[in-house]
Amino acid sequence: MNTLFTRSGLLLGLVTLLAGSAGASSRIAAAAQSETVDIVAERFSFSPSEFRVKAGVPIEIRLRSDDTDHGFRILETDINVRIPKRGKAPLTVTFQPPAPGRYTFECSHVCGAGHAFMRGTIIVQ
Amino acid sequence: MDFHFNKPEFEDATLDFHRFVLLVTHRFSDRIRFVGELEVEHAFVEGLEEAGELELEQAYVDFLLSRSINVRAGMILMPIGIINERHEPPVFYGVERPFVDTFIVPTTWFEAGAGIHGEIGRGWRYRTFVAAPLNAREFSADEGLREGRQKGSEANIGRPALTGRLEYLGVRGLTAGASFWTGRSGFEFRPRFDVPVTLGEFDARYTRGPLELRGQFAQVAISNAKELNDAMGRSVGVDPNIARSLRGFYGEAGYRFLSTASSGEFGAFVRYENFDTQFRMPDGYVPLKEFDRDATVFGLTYWPDPDIAIKTDYSVIRNQSTTITAPNSFNIGLGWWF
Repeated sequence: MNTLFTRSGLLLGLVTLLAGSAGASSRIAAAAQSETVDIVAERFSFSPSEFRVKAGVPIEIRLRSDDTDHGFRILETDINVRIPKRGKAPLTVTFQPPAPGRYTFECSHVCGAGHAFMRGTIIVQ
Repeated sequence: MDFHFNKPEFEDATLDFHRFVLLVTHRFSDRIRFVGELEVEHAFVEGLEEAGELELEQAYVDFLLSRSINVRAGMILMPIGIINERHEPPVFYGVERPFVDTFIVPTTWFEAGAGIHGEIGRGWRYRTFVAAPLNAREFSADEGLREGRQKGSEANIGRPALTGRLEYLGVRGLTAGASFWTGRSGFEFRPRFDVPVTLGEFDARYTRGPLELRGQFAQVAISNAKELNDAMGRSVGVDPNIARSLRGFYGEAGYRFLSTASSGEFGAFVRYENFDTQFRMPDGYVPLKEFDRDATVFGLTYWPDPDIAIKTDYSVIRNQSTTITAPNSFNIGLGWWF
């Protein structure tokens, strides 16, 4: 039993190690006039689901799907777009936060059983 | 939707429209939503026959209060493992779900209940629910907990079960999680006695470019299994030989290739599984070795569109019995979602 526990633990450890080596996280590249954020959607999460940006700077959000087409809607704004399916070119939207604060975004196209979990937050400081 | 051709060794092939699912959603407001999922299994439902099932797998209302705390109530999926909450055919390799997600984690596992879910920052999210417990009277040596699901049908909720999952998504491409379920399942017996059941599980999946890796481990503990076997033996005349512990794990590697936006993409995978529904027996019981199984499943998937999967695989299944063999099988599947 211990051997089998060890084997399964090693397997999951390997997965986690490979993930860590990727070192990927939200890529927020500061530019002169705007900030760029890459967001990947998949059933049923956005990655990253939370990121921080500076107040007064427009945000260029590049959206890509790892599976089906998803929606991307920022609540209480007029941003509501369809993210193309996997394999298609990313979609870019520009968001000018009206004021510092927290802005919730969500999938606005029903994408499966866990659709309601697909939410995230933009923190404007 | 899930349409299968299965050819087990030494048996005739079958064609089965395994799952036809209708998803219904409604947004009452930005903060209140309904999700419903109605599923027909095996294409045909006939009363009192094992021909098929019409199941209400999900029907809940979400009250979205804040990022960290939201309330969900209704018919909900148990938040256990990789497959149960994420079971559309295009999102997993293989024609059939992993054996571990059939014999150890009884997917699709849904019950009436309520609870909270949310994100707690830095890539961590959780969900925890109280729900109807499993019914131990339906447990079996072969399929473990599977037939014990009450499925929200006049479910006994005298002693609600508790389930939860903590998940980490803070590294791009990685989803790692740990889940539990614990409940008392002996409510049908008279005189009553406790059958506490606990399931613990951890899993991870990682995608980097064309490479996809998955692993999952799950173990079940059934307390008072000896008393459970005695009680069931007295009522039906046959001792069901239910274990006090079940265990399973798998590791899977997949690789996508020949990917183009116009003609779709291919993926090849191999998965090793080990699953034993007689892992530890009560004192005085001998495990049935045919239920100590492992499987190597390998195959190909073609996605002409990300929402359509044409799958083929071969399952090599072995058990520890010297007299009863487990048949291998060749499978073809067509699954789609929209």
